[in-house]
Amino acid sequence: MSLALIVSMVTRAQGILGTVTDDLGEPVIGASVVEKGNPQNGTITDIDGQFTLNVNEGTPIIISYIGYLTQEVKASSNMTVVMKEDAQTLQDVVVIGYGVQKKSVVTASIAKVSAEDLEGKTRLRADDALKGMAAGVNVTSSSGQPGSQSMIRVRGTGTINDTNPLYIIDGMPADQYGLESVNPNDIESIEVLKDAASGAIYGSRAANGVILVTTKKGKMGKAQINYNFSYGWQTAWKHREVTGATDYAILQNEKYINGGQAPLYADPYNLTDANGNAIKGFGTDWQELLFNDNAPIVQHDVSVSGASEKVNYYLSMGYYTQDGIVGGNYGKSNYDRLTIRSNNNFNIIDATKERNFLNKLDVSANLSYMRVHSTGVDANSTWGSPLGSALYLAPTLPVTLTGSIAEDMINQYAAYDLYRDENGDPYTIPGFIGSYQEQNNPIALMQQRPSQGWSHKFMPKFAIDLQLWDNLKYHFTWSAEQSFWGSESATTEKFYFSGNNNSDHTQASSEKANSTSWQIENTLTYDKEFGKHSIGVVLGQSALKYKGSYVGASHWNLINVNKPYVDYTTGGSVQTTTDAEGHIIGVTSLVSGWAGPYVEHHLASLFGRLSYNYDEKYMLQATIRRDGSSRFGSNNKYGVFPSVSVGWNIMNEKFMESTRDWLTNLKFRASWGKNGNENIGDFRYTVLTTSGGTSNYYFGRQASMVYGSKANGLANEDLKWEESEQTDLGLDFGFWNNKLTFTVDYYIKKTNGMLMTMPIPSYVGETKPIGNVGDMENSGIEFELGYKFNISDAHFSIKGNASYLKNKLKNLGNDTGFLNYGISQFSDGGTRAENAEPFPFFYGYKTAGVLQNTAQAAEYNAKYGSNSNPGDLIFVDMNGDGKITSDDRTKIGKPTPDWTYGLNFDADWKGFDLNVFFQGVYGADIFDATWRQDIASGNYPTWVLDRWTGEGTSNKLPLLKLGDSKNWVCSDIYIQDGSYLRLKNISLGYTLPRNLTKKAYIERLRVYVRAENLFTWTKYWGFDPEIGSSSTSMGVDYGVYPQARTWTIGFNLSL
Amino acid sequence: MITKKISIIAGFCAAAFTLASCSDDFLEVTNPTGEPLNEYYTDDQHLSESLTSAYAPLHWPDWDGSAYNDLTCDAEILGDDFWVGGSSISDNQHWHKLFNFEGDGNNTLGTLWGDFYSGIKRCNDVIQYCSWGGGTETNRRSYEMQARLLRVYYYSILWHYYGNVPFYLENLSSPYTATQLTADEIYNNLLPELEEIIASNVLPMRWTAAESGRVSQAMAYMLYAEMVMYQNDSARYPQALTYMKQIIGDSNYSLNPDFTDLWSENGEWCSESIFEINYDDDNAQRDWGTPLHAGGTVFPTLCSPNTWPGGEGWDTGMDGWGFLPMRLETYNMYADNDKRREATCWDVRGYTYTERYQDTHIWHGKYRPQTANCQDCPSSKNLNYNNNKRIYRYAETLLNAAELLLQTGGSASEAASYVNEVRARAGLDALNGVTIDDILNERHLEFCGEGKRYFDLVRAEGISGATEKASVKLVPDTYGYRTNSWTASKKHIPLSQSELDADPTLVQNNY
Repeated sequence: MSLALIVSMVTRAQGILGTVTDDLGEPVIGASVVEKGNPQNGTITDIDGQFTLNVNEGTPIIISYIGYLTQEVKASSNMTVVMKEDAQTLQDVVVIGYGVQKKSVVTASIAKVSAEDLEGKTRLRADDALKGMAAGVNVTSSSGQPGSQSMIRVRGTGTINDTNPLYIIDGMPADQYGLESVNPNDIESIEVLKDAASGAIYGSRAANGVILVTTKKGKMGKAQINYNFSYGWQTAWKHREVTGATDYAILQNEKYINGGQAPLYADPYNLTDANGNAIKGFGTDWQELLFNDNAPIVQHDVSVSGASEKVNYYLSMGYYTQDGIVGGNYGKSNYDRLTIRSNNNFNIIDATKERNFLNKLDVSANLSYMRVHSTGVDANSTWGSPLGSALYLAPTLPVTLTGSIAEDMINQYAAYDLYRDENGDPYTIPGFIGSYQEQNNPIALMQQRPSQGWSHKFMPKFAIDLQLWDNLKYHFTWSAEQSFWGSESATTEKFYFSGNNNSDHTQASSEKANSTSWQIENTLTYDKEFGKHSIGVVLGQSALKYKGSYVGASHWNLINVNKPYVDYTTGGSVQTTTDAEGHIIGVTSLVSGWAGPYVEHHLASLFGRLSYNYDEKYMLQATIRRDGSSRFGSNNKYGVFPSVSVGWNIMNEKFMESTRDWLTNLKFRASWGKNGNENIGDFRYTVLTTSGGTSNYYFGRQASMVYGSKANGLANEDLKWEESEQTDLGLDFGFWNNKLTFTVDYYIKKTNGMLMTMPIPSYVGETKPIGNVGDMENSGIEFELGYKFNISDAHFSIKGNASYLKNKLKNLGNDTGFLNYGISQFSDGGTRAENAEPFPFFYGYKTAGVLQNTAQAAEYNAKYGSNSNPGDLIFVDMNGDGKITSDDRTKIGKPTPDWTYGLNFDADWKGFDLNVFFQGVYGADIFDATWRQDIASGNYPTWVLDRWTGEGTSNKLPLLKLGDSKNWVCSDIYIQDGSYLRLKNISLGYTLPRNLTKKAYIERLRVYVRAENLFTWTKYWGFDPEIGSSSTSMGVDYGVYPQARTWTIGFNLSL
Repeated sequence: MITKKISIIAGFCAAAFTLASCSDDFLEVTNPTGEPLNEYYTDDQHLSESLTSAYAPLHWPDWDGSAYNDLTCDAEILGDDFWVGGSSISDNQHWHKLFNFEGDGNNTLGTLWGDFYSGIKRCNDVIQYCSWGGGTETNRRSYEMQARLLRVYYYSILWHYYGNVPFYLENLSSPYTATQLTADEIYNNLLPELEEIIASNVLPMRWTAAESGRVSQAMAYMLYAEMVMYQNDSARYPQALTYMKQIIGDSNYSLNPDFTDLWSENGEWCSESIFEINYDDDNAQRDWGTPLHAGGTVFPTLCSPNTWPGGEGWDTGMDGWGFLPMRLETYNMYADNDKRREATCWDVRGYTYTERYQDTHIWHGKYRPQTANCQDCPSSKNLNYNNNKRIYRYAETLLNAAELLLQTGGSASEAASYVNEVRARAGLDALNGVTIDDILNERHLEFCGEGKRYFDLVRAEGISGATEKASVKLVPDTYGYRTNSWTASKKHIPLSQSELDADPTLVQNNY
């Protein structure tokens, strides 16, 4: 209807008729056509790109349209004007927070990833889209589980606390769940504000970088309809090598014999399983049974967009569903997401030609919606997770039991309903056959009903743009994020997997939560050029509020296991037991409920920014923001965060004229700023009461529970935000008309007053308080390189980025200058924070081989006063005190890579397009904590086969011995090189010739095939070198859910 | 017209600007689940709550989310009545190491320390809240005195195991460290405190049935005797004897007629019971994810056979982890007519199940698992047996009194009569006279598996005439399990490496 209006407006009776098209021959709608020197005589092009202008032939006319180079041509009858895209204006604008800026005058360090950069790559999640795309932005997948979030670090680990960047989606702050709600296909650009100068406009939340996501708008012209479809097959790119039945039996025997006990297997080459069947070959390959090969991943996206002078719209819907490679085939690790977006902008009043005050009003109303369903398995855990269990269960253990031993097991667990396979045979309970602690039969685990998680998220936004006077503009937005999420879970069988994973009753539970964040912002902007002086001012105010609540309930004893609802359970809230005389001796609660509000979070802010440049030669920008946060006590309610940056476009100097034929661009940038991190939890500055839970105790002969209360911690009233100060120096080069571009940045970022749990002894008897005690420093160099070239019809583009990062914990803030974080199952080492070292690093003993014979052992023992035997590890006496003690523990590796890099190669030739994208890290270590040695019957990773078995057999791994507490301590024998290079994405597409598709009214049809994670080059022996666990367990592999190798076919269709 | 409209919008926007501008009120949020301490702890109800929370850590050690440091296991693995067991020598390795007197900073009772310092911290808080003067004076005095006595008890456990520990009576503030005192200094601090508590006479000799679980005057007497005797502090023996006689003379306390019944649910807080740590399965909040919540105990699961075929009141499918198999010699030390054997030793020779490390088919009888004892819990049954942990009972009062009589040159016949009272219940003949060894032997039989044997052997080192002592009994065994001998330096186990790391002023025990 709006289009019809425009059409009627531009119809003219007579004059010169002409058509305006773009270089592809597409009509350009809404282009302005005016007679030169007579602005009153003008028109705009209609839906077919046509115009009629009342001028004589030969009269110069000017044709202009945003995004295209303005042209002056002489009017002629039935003329066709081909507009050329103005590459400068299209690409060289960056979003900077409360505004945009021409790239040529940007003085800060901002990385931009545009929709084009993401073309041809897998785009399931917005966080993944950034992987390898920008220098200084390190994205690590936390696991291959569908729907799992990636870990994003901007310029290193800035703090030992929450080191996630701030996400701003179209102006509204969001967390990583908010980012999840953005369909990557709807993204116009992602800007990463890396330095403090650019981040300062977000003040107390910008210390870990800011990621600005801008969604698409309609483009002038006729409606664009796009449909994208893809279907992929995912498979684990590798299995972890564990020992087969014979090797396992040999190692078990050896371990028991060395431990002074009888061997378990009479003949490791001739084994019989618990069912009495001979074990052939490998035995039970638990990983093979568990991994779900060719798990499907499907994506549909449809969008409709367009714009006219008055209306701009972008409407889209996306659906994506993925089965996991572990459990996806059992509905245990699945994810599907539906997203809908509606971006609309309306020009209500445009009187810019009539007056220069209150002359233009735009209103926009946007709404996005996301719905997610998900299930998941426990991942990256050695405590009974499916994948973890698959690594430890012996290959000699059958998946199911049959015959008399099955009967025995059924009798043993008579109170439970054991899961059975299709033949009716019960799945083996590992603990019935051997000693497996918390490990479960992973195939049995898969039979259990999954817990269903769901969420809905609405993100509405209403904005008003009003031109007040001259170039003074007023902008108002109200935006919000309304989330609803919950889960439904039920125990539909009385299951038994292991001693601490069983249930003797059925149960249903349901939980729901909701949260609302709203933000109101008012900004005034003024941009003006006075001769060669150009200034821009932004003044603004922002207020934000978050609140939410939750409610949930559970009830025992389902009436119908197929209707597992809390209210459909055998009535009653308690169950009593009575003694022989009928007296009640026990009471069990069958129903429970929980509900309450989340702690609110409020933020009130004022901010301002001044930008100035002289002739685009000398640039200056200064920013200040004052934030008040509800997270701090009255001593420190408000924080002020300033920044300043300068730039010098050396190329625009006269003296550089001589080099312009090859050096197109040379810019020097420098910035300094201060940012904050208020993401430290609520009420940490004060001590309040807490009741119930760990305060309760039973009193009385009849034991009735009495509720207690206590102080919830130790206080620190002076608690305030963390502050990070960053200095950035940058150089931008452009050669040969920017065919070759090169950018280099050096930065140094200091986090001061880092909040951390004070590393005090646990004999204080309470949760340790947090304080602004630490300092961290990150420094690094970032490079970005781009090169475009053509060879006849073929176009090539190479984009590369690399960043070197040096992270150093300056001051932990305690007396000792260090703090140990454990790695489960190791009590004598793990990860550690220590002054002047990278945070965190791996801490343990350094080894220097294995004692080969008694003579060597005697010498070692004499030297260090130890009682080691041949086959024991040689530990290095780091402090040289002649003893091997806990003081000899040292840095044995670090999880943070020195180098992170990405390389993107694009080529197209006659409708074919190719994208090859590599991504990798160098200089990172992994601590392999996947082998639980305390599980007596557990299987072995194959690297254990390299253990010492006699003189000369191994000089790295010690002997195997049951109950050995000497050798398998936390040492460098678990450290592996975590460097990798990954062919993240390779895709080959073909766009059908337009003259062919046009007949079917198809503008564009591209078909493609794509592979993700096709090759990974790494020395690491585990599932995946990418381990994105959070700060203190970074780089510790507990059996991570690996990334899938995915083959995808798909097409993009435009109408 | 248009201008007017646009002016209205501009006006509206200006109003929005003003409305949304920041104010301090906007930044004040309240915590939905907490109150300021000084406003809250001002009445009886709330003071009583804080005291309850000070009792709570009593029930943590058997499983506190990090380690199994059940008080019975901790003591018995050091003694000579049980093996460590478990699935292998690497299962709960710290027990195996301590059993063989080769513990270190990583193989020690690390979390017991943290659990009971939490108790001490909470007691200090109660005492501070009481000093603010809220509530009624009578109740406040009682709360304060219970907290003080409980605090001595917590310290006494740390003192028994670690000896030289940090000591503080007011909660720590920056830099959050306390001075480490020697074992003797700890003793010299705690005893006057205990004497003051006793002298105040605020606590009742016995609480009413509904209040069972609280520390009483009689509990203070037992703690006093235990500490004085462990310290071999003969100067305080007369006072300890007086306290024992006060309990003996009190009509609230007597031996339970039936020894076996003592260990049933009915025997909890019976007339013989002076102090117990309360566990229950009813409405238990304890689960694997909430180990510190009130509920039952994991101890019966820890010390019972794996893959039990069902029978003896314990159903098939119930979980047993095979720790603390009883030594055959322990079973054999009982005379055939000693009624205590059946209750103490759970003899399952004849049953078939999966044997774990050091299995003897004889298990801890006093706390053996019974399905009835955990069936009412709404969460994990293996973690929630309702067996209260017996700490002090009247039989010990009698044997303490007998020993103190001998030590102080008191009436030998009176001493014998106390011992004989205990023997009579066990169905044994009376002794005409008793020696120190007779009493220690009777304690061995009576308290087997109650965590007292090891400490008796250690203190016997300082008792002249005692032959049942640590250096004699805690030596390598014929099975090759224990290969090292106890020495005096083993009296205090190593401090955790993590605590030494956190407070460099701490000095490691010379273990």
